[in-house]
Amino acid sequence: MPTPTLTQSIVITLIQCLLVVIFVFVVVPLTVFAERKVLGHLQQRLGSTRVASGHVGFSGWMNRRMWKMGRVPVLSYWRGIPGLVGDVLKLILKEDIMPAKADKFVFFLAPSISMVAAIIVFAAISFVPGTFFTLPAWFPFVGGLPVSGGIADINVGLLWILGVATVGVYGIVLAGWSSNSKYPLLGGLRSAAQMVSYEVPLALSLLAPVVLSASLNFGEMAARMATGMPAWALVPQVIGFLLYFTCGFAETNRLPFDMPEAENELVAGFHTEYSGMKFGLFYLAEYINMTVVSALASAFFLGGPWLLPFGLQGLLNPYLPGFLSWFGEPHAIFFVAKIIFLLFTYIWVRGTIPRYRYDQIMAVGWKYLIPVALVNLLLAAAIRCFAV
Amino acid sequence: MHKFLKTLIPFDIAKGLSVTGKHFGQVFFTANRRKVPFHIVSEYPEVPAKVQPRYRGRLTLLKDEQGEIKCVCCLACEKICPTQVITIEKGKKEGRKMPFPVRYDFEMERCIFCEFCVESCGFDSIILNHQFELAAYNREDFSLGMEGTGQNMFEPSHVGKFSVADD
Repeated sequence: MPTPTLTQSIVITLIQCLLVVIFVFVVVPLTVFAERKVLGHLQQRLGSTRVASGHVGFSGWMNRRMWKMGRVPVLSYWRGIPGLVGDVLKLILKEDIMPAKADKFVFFLAPSISMVAAIIVFAAISFVPGTFFTLPAWFPFVGGLPVSGGIADINVGLLWILGVATVGVYGIVLAGWSSNSKYPLLGGLRSAAQMVSYEVPLALSLLAPVVLSASLNFGEMAARMATGMPAWALVPQVIGFLLYFTCGFAETNRLPFDMPEAENELVAGFHTEYSGMKFGLFYLAEYINMTVVSALASAFFLGGPWLLPFGLQGLLNPYLPGFLSWFGEPHAIFFVAKIIFLLFTYIWVRGTIPRYRYDQIMAVGWKYLIPVALVNLLLAAAIRCFAV
Repeated sequence: MHKFLKTLIPFDIAKGLSVTGKHFGQVFFTANRRKVPFHIVSEYPEVPAKVQPRYRGRLTLLKDEQGEIKCVCCLACEKICPTQVITIEKGKKEGRKMPFPVRYDFEMERCIFCEFCVESCGFDSIILNHQFELAAYNREDFSLGMEGTGQNMFEPSHVGKFSVADD
């Protein structure tokens, strides 16, 4: 296999970035759409089934076509999807209002911090260990070179992810402060307190995989957690998964911990004063954060690109018959499937559990999650000490 | 200890998730599929609504095998009707022993679809049909009689056009 020169490796990295960005911007709008459909189904409705418009214009023409096609009773699961385009168009075309006494620069900066902090995390996420695919020989300039499964599978990947994800809090706090209004300020403060509190059990629950796998490299951790664990490691993995995913809900401000957007107390939390695409950036950042949390949870606890969760793959692999060896190998499709399932779980939980009160959120975080995470860490350390 | 474990292990959340998950599965796998006997949700205008046997639609006069109106003008329905939407005029017809309704007016505007008239009828000569779509654009369309082609007491009402799909 030829060794790439510096420029060639830069081009390959750009290709990887493009692929990741395509992945993110395919998954995120589909999650927004799926949120409507799944929430509807959970409440025994169908969700959005039509493009909302009159009889005029392009969407009206589509409307009429779809009504006509709808004469045949078919399962019309995807018919609400053009509404997504409408949503994005609305956000882009809407007037961007800035409060008169807002801090202009910070007001402008806050949504971009949120968005950048959310999307930059993907740099350290490796979708599949080793080579993802090899570029075909006819490809200009970089033909025949391998493209690895992650953009930068660095040795301190987890640190990078946790650090950058924490920067996202700045976006929210600055948004609340710079709006120069009471409700956004309160919402931003609440959200900051909540996210800072939940950083602790989140990091503690992620420490268990670190201890077990003795690495901070994303791909290596995923590989060791999936295949190199003794049977005893199942327990801290399951507990850690529940802990991590609960904290993930709080980190992404999703519904059971949906404090910043408590609609009856604070108008809309930190983004009360935001409109147009600036609000759209917050919205996107929330969904990208969901994807990131799902990716981390599936990599460290659900076996990542391997098929079976909780380290069961490593226990099964010696007994796997030869013709099923495809299921014993890592594949990006397993990883993506797990991410999508966890995103579904996000919506599922949103449709099931009512919102906690603010003090209850804090109580759950400090009184239950942190002690359990510490016990879990001890357990993992003991297993590391005696069983591995 | 029991309570502590109950707090720690999210049984209740799992129970709630299973309930909503069941709803999701039911709707996801059966929506719009009429072949599935107990589908919960369907898209209404495209997929016609499924009507239960006891559904109470519009009042309809029945005829027997010879095409004769079964009604014998006992006026039971007129008397029992809580909103008094039925008006019957007795008459005679050649070759018929029983009285014959010359006029049978029914004002659907005020009807509350209580089915008392059908229950009180001793001759099984009226029913509430299974028509689901009874809306109309004109007020006159709700006063039904024995004359007329579309809006009369014997056939189902015209369905009001309510969407572009009906063009």
